[in-house]
Amino acid sequence: MNLVEGWYAVAIADDIEPGTSAGTRLFDRELVVWRDLAGVSHVWEDRCPHRGMRLSFGFVRGNHIACLYHGWAYDTAGQCRAIPAHPDLAVPETIKVATYHSVEAGGLILVHSSLGAEALPPPAPAPTGHALRSLYVDLAPDVVAERLLQDFTARDDGSYAGTLAGAPVLVFLQPFTATRTGLHLVLAGPGDAVAVSAASEALRNAFEASPTALEAAE
Amino acid sequence: MSLVLHDYELDADCYTVRLFLSILGIPAEMIAVDVYPGHEQRSPAYLALNPRGSLPILVAGNLVLTEAEAILCYLARSEAAGAAFLPDEAAAFGAVMSWLFFARGPLGAATAARLTAMLEAPGDADMLERQARAAFRVMEDHMTARHLSGASWFVGDGPTLADIALFPPIVLSRDFGIDHDEYPALRRWMRRMRTIPGFITMPGIPDYH
Repeated sequence: MNLVEGWYAVAIADDIEPGTSAGTRLFDRELVVWRDLAGVSHVWEDRCPHRGMRLSFGFVRGNHIACLYHGWAYDTAGQCRAIPAHPDLAVPETIKVATYHSVEAGGLILVHSSLGAEALPPPAPAPTGHALRSLYVDLAPDVVAERLLQDFTARDDGSYAGTLAGAPVLVFLQPFTATRTGLHLVLAGPGDAVAVSAASEALRNAFEASPTALEAAE
Repeated sequence: MSLVLHDYELDADCYTVRLFLSILGIPAEMIAVDVYPGHEQRSPAYLALNPRGSLPILVAGNLVLTEAEAILCYLARSEAAGAAFLPDEAAAFGAVMSWLFFARGPLGAATAARLTAMLEAPGDADMLERQARAAFRVMEDHMTARHLSGASWFVGDGPTLADIALFPPIVLSRDFGIDHDEYPALRRWMRRMRTIPGFITMPGIPDYH
């Protein structure tokens, strides 16, 4: 399995509503995914430079995200713009959150796992479909990838194509931690969203009940 | 009838009752009990009131009620504003009750995990965390299906006792080390909970969001 640095889906775009933030992980690194009130999403390192608090615990005001601890507020480039305890201070340019490259495509938020990298390859063309939901499997990413390949086909965009509840679906895999894997489900044709979602839960449960292909074959 | 709530501010079950009282707009006399470090809820005086040694305790005249979910049900019937939170119709009533038993049963692991992490209550932290995550997943899958069906609440078209009872354990889960990263449907629902008129927070639930 080839789970290397690259583009990965980290959220269903609609699940990050304007003015909200959420934490996630990619290769065990903590990321904050947030959407400003103008509707633009951002993916950053989930760490306030001040005390290391997760920014995903914070709150979005306008086009800034502020840390829950002391209210340090960051603009959409990750630059700190306000420190409430020092209202007259011109905030140094060095107080900046590390940011990831991210795009929204096909109803997903995709991020490149290389923090701050430059000259990245663009993500593969986005799928068309209805991005349904995310779900999380208590198994290592390579184990989940191996299980998916039993019934699904790997595609160039990094997703896995298959069928759930009789409907065509694409599954985008997120290497969450060494022991957990995110799956982001896209309905790629006609189908009953609720039934497809339920089938994805059954798939998750089956993976966890029988984690390796070897065991499944026995 | 005047109400008296024997209360501990950091207790999630007490918050459940405070939250519903606030949503109903019902005043109650609050009596602060020294649970930590005093264990006052297990003092002779409190054991005489509630032999279970637990909080919250609601006193309404001669009636003494314990267990947060039972107090919710009582208030839903005793207060006119509470009726919509415990529907009469059999299927909806059954669904709400099912979630109330879930809150006291499987989801009780989350409450216990928090007390173990914060207030030195005895317990197997690893096992409680596993059980709490399993319960949160049941809730996440349910609210994902609800969202995909165009619904916003656990049961029916508006908030019920199910939402009130299920909210505190998950919103406070960071107190015992479970983030909300894996629960997008519950995050959406928790934000919606804040829009209920009368919504209040407790320590551990940010006023900001």
